[in-house]
Amino acid sequence: MTDDGRSGDDVWVVIPVFNEVQVLESVLDQTLAVFPNVVCVDDGSRDGSPAAVLRTRAHLVRHPVNLGQGAALQTGLTYARAQPGARYFVMFDADGQHRLEDAAAMVEVARSGAADVVLGTRFADGGASVPLLKRIVLRTAVLLSRAGRKLKLTDAHNGLRVLTRPVADDLQITMNGMAHASEIVSYLGHSTWRVREVPVSIRYTEYSRSKGQSLLNGVNILFDLSVRQRGG
Amino acid sequence: MLIQFLLVLAVLGVLFVFVRSSGAVYVQASKRIALVLFAAANIYAVMRPDDLTTLARMLGVGRGTDLVLYALVVAFMAGMFSFYQRFRIVDRRYTELARTVAIREAELVNRERGVTTRPVVSTGEGTPVSTRDR
Repeated sequence: MTDDGRSGDDVWVVIPVFNEVQVLESVLDQTLAVFPNVVCVDDGSRDGSPAAVLRTRAHLVRHPVNLGQGAALQTGLTYARAQPGARYFVMFDADGQHRLEDAAAMVEVARSGAADVVLGTRFADGGASVPLLKRIVLRTAVLLSRAGRKLKLTDAHNGLRVLTRPVADDLQITMNGMAHASEIVSYLGHSTWRVREVPVSIRYTEYSRSKGQSLLNGVNILFDLSVRQRGG
Repeated sequence: MLIQFLLVLAVLGVLFVFVRSSGAVYVQASKRIALVLFAAANIYAVMRPDDLTTLARMLGVGRGTDLVLYALVVAFMAGMFSFYQRFRIVDRRYTELARTVAIREAELVNRERGVTTRPVVSTGEGTPVSTRDR
């Protein structure tokens, strides 16, 4: 579309969806009010989430089988990249824990040309809104990752990210499960993209808490990452 | 004892190889050589159990069969890791296939729903993921 993109036509919001029917429609309606282009990747939900997407103006891509959140993100990116005029890609969670104001602010940072990748961080203010145990685990995760230290990230596992076109073209998420967050950080650490963190706040609602990943899952993530195919 | 040293070393070696392996040709080749050697050693151990017991004594293990058991544990671990990596490669191909199908179908569906403003020309192709055999 037009090149100044003030209308947000060049922004694509990628939302992986897995059994989120309770909140999905309201999240999508709010999102579509800010960003006209939204693609939902349904990862084999069994609760009518795809039907909820079809009631909105959001694009729907359905995985024929459940593949995992990382795979859904990559599918959404691949789909959005093929759409005409797409220049900025926002990764957004379906459970309503991210704020659209934050996403819009991050797109503005990317648009200003100050960064190729904009990541949300919950810890700009010391992370007062994050539950204590989660805070400890997340901080440890950043400190343990070499790429995270190199990029001086404060929050490696925030689901809110904005990619510019060249980054989206280059990134290949191969960790289908939850390890994709670490994979993205590691990818950025090995690349020359300019990465910027922007403070965001997360709404830890009852719903998002119940959907949130268990801390034990960190063990799975560490295992997957350490045995993955190197350099492939 | 010598055997403890060797076993710990073998387990660490297996871990190291599978965490660091770059998928190079030599990894694949050495896996196969190891398999052949393991089979040959097994045949020898069955044919000459006394030699095995002598070797076990030298290493500080009581009986030859115990030595075979220890070797089996290490081989099992290596096999599991190898299988896991193999599985990951297959999983990657399977994902790529599912993704292509999903995107192709989605472009038809979304055009029919009228949410796409322009005709879409993409066929959902992406850069093929490298899924090297090994």
